[in-house]
Amino acid sequence: MKINLGPLTRIEGHLNVETTVENNKIVDAQCMGEMFRGFEVFLQGRNPLDAQQITQRICGVCPYAHAIASSYAQERAYNLKVPPNGRIMHNLIQGANHLYDYLLQFYQLAALDFVDVTSILQYKGKDADLLTLKNWVQAELASGKAYPAAPFLPRLSGKYVNNADLNIGALKHYIESMEIQKKANEAAAIFGGKFPHSTSIFPGGCTQNAKIDLIASYQSLINEVRNFYHNKYIPDVLAIAKAFPEYWNIGASKGGFLSYGLLPLSPEQNSKKVFSSGVLTDGEISPVNFELITEDVKHAMYSSPSGLKVRDSTLTPSPKKSGAYSWIKAPRYQGHMVEVGSAARILVDYHQGNNATVKQLVQKFAAQAGIPPSKINSVLGRYLSRAICGAVIADFLLDESERIDLKGPTIADIKIPSSGEGFGATEASRGALLHYIRIKDQKIDRYECVVPTTWNASPRDDNDQPGAMESALIGTNVKDPEDQIEAIRIVHSFDPCIACAVH
Amino acid sequence: MDRREFLKLGATLSAAFGILNLPKPVIAALKKIDPKSIPKLIYLQGQSCSGCSVSLLQAGSPSPLTLITNYSQLAFHADLSAVSGKKALDLIEKYISGKAGDYYLAVEGAIPDKMPEACIIGDKNFAQYLEAAAVTMSGAIAVGACASDGGIPAAEGNLTGAISLREYYKLRNVNKLVINLRGCSVHPDWVWQTIISLVKVGLPTLTDKGSPALFYSRKIHEQCPKYHDFQQEIFAAKLGDQGCLFKLGCVGPDTAADCPNRWWNNSRTWCVAANAPCIGCAWPNFARKKDFPFYRLIEQKQQSVKRR
Repeated sequence: MKINLGPLTRIEGHLNVETTVENNKIVDAQCMGEMFRGFEVFLQGRNPLDAQQITQRICGVCPYAHAIASSYAQERAYNLKVPPNGRIMHNLIQGANHLYDYLLQFYQLAALDFVDVTSILQYKGKDADLLTLKNWVQAELASGKAYPAAPFLPRLSGKYVNNADLNIGALKHYIESMEIQKKANEAAAIFGGKFPHSTSIFPGGCTQNAKIDLIASYQSLINEVRNFYHNKYIPDVLAIAKAFPEYWNIGASKGGFLSYGLLPLSPEQNSKKVFSSGVLTDGEISPVNFELITEDVKHAMYSSPSGLKVRDSTLTPSPKKSGAYSWIKAPRYQGHMVEVGSAARILVDYHQGNNATVKQLVQKFAAQAGIPPSKINSVLGRYLSRAICGAVIADFLLDESERIDLKGPTIADIKIPSSGEGFGATEASRGALLHYIRIKDQKIDRYECVVPTTWNASPRDDNDQPGAMESALIGTNVKDPEDQIEAIRIVHSFDPCIACAVH
Repeated sequence: MDRREFLKLGATLSAAFGILNLPKPVIAALKKIDPKSIPKLIYLQGQSCSGCSVSLLQAGSPSPLTLITNYSQLAFHADLSAVSGKKALDLIEKYISGKAGDYYLAVEGAIPDKMPEACIIGDKNFAQYLEAAAVTMSGAIAVGACASDGGIPAAEGNLTGAISLREYYKLRNVNKLVINLRGCSVHPDWVWQTIISLVKVGLPTLTDKGSPALFYSRKIHEQCPKYHDFQQEIFAAKLGDQGCLFKLGCVGPDTAADCPNRWWNNSRTWCVAANAPCIGCAWPNFARKKDFPFYRLIEQKQQSVKRR
């Protein structure tokens, strides 16, 4: 029996997953990215400095990551010497964006997979926010409307949290997190100009000046966000894990892991980073080599050649192509499927012992949950990884903001060469993000983006190997084949972004 | 659309996105609307990046509590709805076919008019929903640059024939009012304060580009705190410099929006306050031409970078 899970909600964008279910088990899954714009084509021939603006519009959820990746690529192509303040401001902006994004992902996008929103009807406490919510849900249910209490109801069939305290606490934090995510974005905008879509990020730094009042405001906002992570986000993730321990064993992807590393500690792009880069296959780490990445299109809706390296990539849409089922290409590392994202970021760093805090938090939370660190490759592992990333990033940002030199420049003097090329790699909140730019006659000759969800939600490659999310879905038992809340939970744990994946 | 319809639309959107800390008369005006008569809002995304949806969550004054307790009006939004898959499609279908009462359509993103396969929701392409909604909806709001003018997907090199919502309906002779709320992304206030204005005074004055004049009538340049620098001919010579940003490519003189007064992200800052030239994201021609770059590096003036 074939069941379409699309339109798959509480993600970014247009995703369908066609599942084949036999005896309540998913025996096949195809991830279908269903929206295409063609960024690489309309970037061609533009001024190279347009790129960090245009590519932010790939994704309004993580635009800053695209601005940073594009800036790194242009820095290489221009051979820019980046002043320390420039890199620090890049970090302050990008790090704050991660903090907002994990909040949005866990509370607004994923929580309703687990939390029972109807439990508010049993609320007996005195919290004004929760009482208002309770009254509203009651009124809605009594209203006789076609769809009362939307967008929280209707929902999918399944087992939700049955602990009243956990439900009520999580609902309260759903409400609070909406305020906190704004504070993270406000902090980022202090240096970024605005959110979404920053105008102040450039290759070589940032147009905002180094001013003590800005730093103080930034630190105050980030500190509030940090406290929310420690007091609410992390305990909530652990509580959900305790209520659904089976999800440590559900949703593992069946390949390796790739991370480009995040938050460089000095202006040089090969500097040590807060999270290290690497490829993890069969427990072995190797350094990332962009030349080993190829993009297959056998099952993607393009007639351009398959298996090209990033720097050779071209794009010819062919929506009616036979055998193609997605607008997402299938990137592969040395021909292999890999998972990217929070779990990859944590596992790649943990296996190298790069960041002592990462190691300590992984061991602490794994011990609490009674799982080995390898179980980070699971639905719950991806959530735990975001919690760890959030805690580590918040502390780093408070330290990093102290390192701004109030007398130093914040941006390099940009001169666009007549020709050049460069890769720019970073970690978006959803994982490994790579931009490539080639310049000819001071114009963009070629631009290519290989984006996190391009990896995770990729269709089959030329050898018919499934993508990471497809591999995680295949073999999963589903109680209700129509609704498949188990599959939805797997998909949400990857936090897919289809606008990014296809672009 | 008459005043009554506008009032309903106002109430719908204000409820969907939440309103708090409004002047008392505004709240009173809102309260005069019978909640039972408030139609639902179906929020659909075309060729979009979700940036406008994320921006709406950055609204300053609406509290998250108000957002949630009024979300009953937000019948469907792909980023927030608990329901998924076939059940979600059934819900959308019920509204679009006119069987679930009055509703208004909010659209984020462009429409791929020459390549319908470039945007699919469930079992149909995006345009099919718009076509069906044209018959049943009470009205539509184009949220952001893409829905208003085509935006980035319609930039030169446009492979999909991406067009705006107005253009889409115009090509099909659909004569329903579409309000354009420009910006890439839209400012959250531009969406819900438009609605307050509708509720309080009825149909707001729209510019000749179909946007509320209250927010989109004056050029950024005219209201800019660096206007004095411009008059004194104090110009930033390179990125990061103080002074008027005009010579670096600022399109504040072309772009009509109230950013210099409103500011962004809880009124904490805005582009020019961060010394960043305005790139014209609320300008109908935003990003449209390849030979009209966002920035002009002074050293390259001789290299025939065409600006107009």
